[in-house]
Formats: sequence, C-alpha cells, structure tokens
Amino acid sequence: MSRKSALAAGLLLVMTASLFAQKKEDSGMPKVGDVAPDFTLKYFDGSNLKDVKLSDYRGKKNVVVGFYIFAFTGG
Amino acid sequence: MQAFQQNLKTLEAADTQVLGVSMDSAFANKAFADQIGVTFPLLSDWGGKVTHEYGIYKDEYQAPRRVNFLIGKDGKIMEEQVDKDAIDPTKIVDACQRPKMKN
Repeated sequence: MSRKSALAAGLLLVMTASLFAQKKEDSGMPKVGDVAPDFTLKYFDGSNLKDVKLSDYRGKKNVVVGFYIFAFTGG
Repeated sequence: MQAFQQNLKTLEAADTQVLGVSMDSAFANKAFADQIGVTFPLLSDWGGKVTHEYGIYKDEYQAPRRVNFLIGKDGKIMEEQVDKDAIDPTKIVDACQRPKMKN
C-alpha cells in the first residue's frame, strides 16, 4: 500500500469512528455544557394544577432538576 | 429529594430554584412532598415524555433513573449526577455557590 492510500484509509477510519461517536451521543443524556431540553410540566400545589416551564427561569435563576424513580420510595 | 430540602436555604440564597421530577401523577407527588416535608414543586412527567427526551428512562424501573441536573441562568447544564451519585447532592449545592453561577 502506498503512503498516500494508507493515509486515506486512516482518515476514512477516523471519520467513520467519529460518525459513530456522534450517533451514540445523540441517543444519550444531555452533557455538561449542552442547553437543557425545555419542558413544561405540572405540579399540584394543594388546590390547583400549575405549569412549570424550564425556560421561564432563563436569565433569572439557576435550576436544579432532580429526577427520582418513584414517589414514596425514599425519594 | 429530602437532601435538597435540607439544603434549600443555601440553594435559594444562591439564586437557585429546585424542581423534582418523576413519572408519578401530580397528586401522588403532592402527597409524597407533604409526607417527606418537601416544599419545592415535584413535577409530574406523566407518560414520560420529558424523561425520554432527557434520555434517562430505564426499562428495568419503567421510570426515570435518579439524575440531578444543575442548569445555569443561560440554560446550559453545569453539573450532572447520575444513579447512586445523585443521592448526595453536595456537588450541586457547592457548584451553585461558585461566583460564575451568580451571574
């Protein structure tokens, strides 16, 4: 194999690998540095159902979003 | 969630809103909040749409994994804690108090 074709093959390998790495990232959790996906979810305050929209806090507050598995299980 | 409640004053002083999320109903979550003395909202991701969007649905539980995200005022994720690491939120409480989180 010539030097040139070896280089081309190597480059192709790197490109293919990075393509797979990209694909894997897309299916997983957002990473540190990513913009958190926006959501609007409801909670019950004791008398009414209220909406909370994540992006409403943008520019105003930091937000901790803690996902837990089930209510009443140690939380 | 109790661990966040215990640190709520510190978090609020650092300009940080705490939100819990599970796939329970909003009403079950309110009863749970009352039982364990949580005063911040526990949100209902009924059907799991947001859990799926965040990529943390776990088939074994048919529910979300335990994950904490700290999101800055710019909307970007600053810290993450996953599974067992998410039980003690000290890393996130400390991170909120860094000067860059106050802007």
